[in-house]
Amino acid sequence: MKSKTARILVVGLVVALLVSLLSGCSGGKSQTAPTPAKPEKKEEKEPIKIGTVGPLTGNAATYGVSTKKGVEIAVDEVNAEGGINGQQVKLISEDSKGDQTEAANATRKLVEQDKVAAIIGAVLSSETFAAGPIANDGKVPMMSPSSTAPGIPDIGPFVFRNCISDNVQAVQVAEYAIKELKLKRFAIMYTNNDYGVALKNAFEAKAKELAQVVGIEAYNDGETNFSVQLSKLKAKSPDALFIGGYYTEVSKIAQQAKQLGMKVQLLGGDGFYSDKLVQLGGDAVEGAVFSAGFYSGDTSPDVVKFVKAYKAKFNNEEPDMFAAQAYDAAKIILTAMKKAGTAGQALRDAIAATKDFPGITGTTSFAENGDAVKQIVILKVDKGKFVRVK
Amino acid sequence: MSAYQQQILILTGINVISALGLSLISGFTGQLSLGHAGFFGVGAYISALLTTKAQLPFALALVVGAFSAGLAGLVVGFPTLRLKGDYLAIATLGFGEIMRVLALNLKITGGPVGIRGIPHSTWPSTVILLAVLAYLLLKKLIDSHVGKTFIAVREDETAAEAMGLDTARVKISAFVIGAIYAGVAGGLYAHYIRYINPSILGFMKSIEILCMVVLGGMGSLPGTVAGTVILTVTPELLRSVSPLISQYRQVIYGVLLIVLMLCRPQGLFGGATYKRERHVPAWKLWGRRESANDIAQR
Repeated sequence: MKSKTARILVVGLVVALLVSLLSGCSGGKSQTAPTPAKPEKKEEKEPIKIGTVGPLTGNAATYGVSTKKGVEIAVDEVNAEGGINGQQVKLISEDSKGDQTEAANATRKLVEQDKVAAIIGAVLSSETFAAGPIANDGKVPMMSPSSTAPGIPDIGPFVFRNCISDNVQAVQVAEYAIKELKLKRFAIMYTNNDYGVALKNAFEAKAKELAQVVGIEAYNDGETNFSVQLSKLKAKSPDALFIGGYYTEVSKIAQQAKQLGMKVQLLGGDGFYSDKLVQLGGDAVEGAVFSAGFYSGDTSPDVVKFVKAYKAKFNNEEPDMFAAQAYDAAKIILTAMKKAGTAGQALRDAIAATKDFPGITGTTSFAENGDAVKQIVILKVDKGKFVRVK
Repeated sequence: MSAYQQQILILTGINVISALGLSLISGFTGQLSLGHAGFFGVGAYISALLTTKAQLPFALALVVGAFSAGLAGLVVGFPTLRLKGDYLAIATLGFGEIMRVLALNLKITGGPVGIRGIPHSTWPSTVILLAVLAYLLLKKLIDSHVGKTFIAVREDETAAEAMGLDTARVKISAFVIGAIYAGVAGGLYAHYIRYINPSILGFMKSIEILCMVVLGGMGSLPGTVAGTVILTVTPELLRSVSPLISQYRQVIYGVLLIVLMLCRPQGLFGGATYKRERHVPAWKLWGRRESANDIAQR
């Protein structure tokens, strides 16, 4: 390739990219006025668009993919019943790679280019912190099914959340451990990220109030050796160990604690909730008690129906908490749409007014700021299976 | 232009400013830096802290943020007096990680949660203006006699020193200027996305920027801009093509990088400014036992 032709080619490519960005990819839709000018009859035929934002690729993909699948089940259900007041619902799923900038881009695309009526997402809290303001500015209701960080619903009036925040679940686990399990001396380990820190702070505050916290140690995701932290905690002779982290590390911590001869009741948050916990942890995690937003072994007809539809559509895969919370979030939004239509403000108000919505993750209402008020599920590992204790 | 396109334009502009900084350090002065996101993060965090906690006006915060990043550049610049090549790369990588761990563990930076509620002060005009200014300033610098000293250090440090050049000063100033560029970009980013957390300081972010510079061509300003535009816009364009393709957009993106590097290992614009050796495309080497260098030297 001669250098001159190469340069021309490159310049041409760059210009083409820019031009297609500026004009092509929007298909000319952006030229039309934002809302009122559209002809009425076209509105009736076009499906209602809703979007999801979450990591479909990258390290956190498992959460994003589950979220997308959960929403797909909800959309399928609504479309099979004839759609929203005669209009079908179309789902547009965007990938965020688990990166906040990508989540912001994806949300901007859904709001400005696809003009979706509502968004289910984002999945990770960091993504929602970046994506939320964009949906809020565009007056498009956004409901995160899984961003548990404190402060998410306070981003703006259009940002909702359909899961229990880290501080609420940690407080409930602390109360359960102290009142029901009669534990007194707590040790805490947490992963040093937003999730772990939020769980630790809330648990520590509640446990100090009602009982005693004897030691706190941090670790980083991906670490495999926890003997230093565990030895320090063992010296303080705790009777319970609360771990604010994910099952991968939790299973290793549990095994190493057992090797060190620590006799503690394991406690945790929804990061425990995966079949992998038992697969990796074996009998070391037996008896562990943790909070969750959903229990797939539930026998209520709605849960059974959801699990059946999910397994049928996705190759006999077991739905996880992310899928269930996303399904409920989508159902809440679609139900609100049936009542109030798809216009931003009306839809937002209808979602905010949702009261005692009977979902598969419990009955849901919304607090003033858009945070979900729902019951928490407390699960226990019993002979390698999860059973609900509260 | 829709707000979505505007957003990509802004992010491209921010990346251009940051990549230009790295282009000076790695492309022109030949100091491989793997910690560019560290400078970017310093600019982002300092300016965001100033506007959220101290209620400083954005312009002032941006300047202070850029200045702090420059200071960090000075700190990193010093080891370069003793380190070369791989060792320098590792040292800069360490700097980036230190910055990330600091942001992760300090109270004032919000720890892993980061800083949110940063005022929205970055507008398209600001970014375009600053990006153009950054480009013109760097071009002026490179074309001046000072610019030749950067290139001299890259081409042959010993020879440059023998010619009486204070190579230490040249390298440090490259790091300081490059870091200031990254700091400005970081400040703009924080006040556009309105939320930052330690992930913006991650190693992968440094690599992303380095990819833009290498893809465009080391030691070429238009190349840096081209590389940045391509790597920022392509993933977004692939979103809009069709659901089938957008599903594999990360794969396509990776394949694109590999193909480009195979066809033009010196980068898109590389070698255009300063010709060093004739390039032989990869496919011509297929099945031959001679190395690329043998053929090029013929």
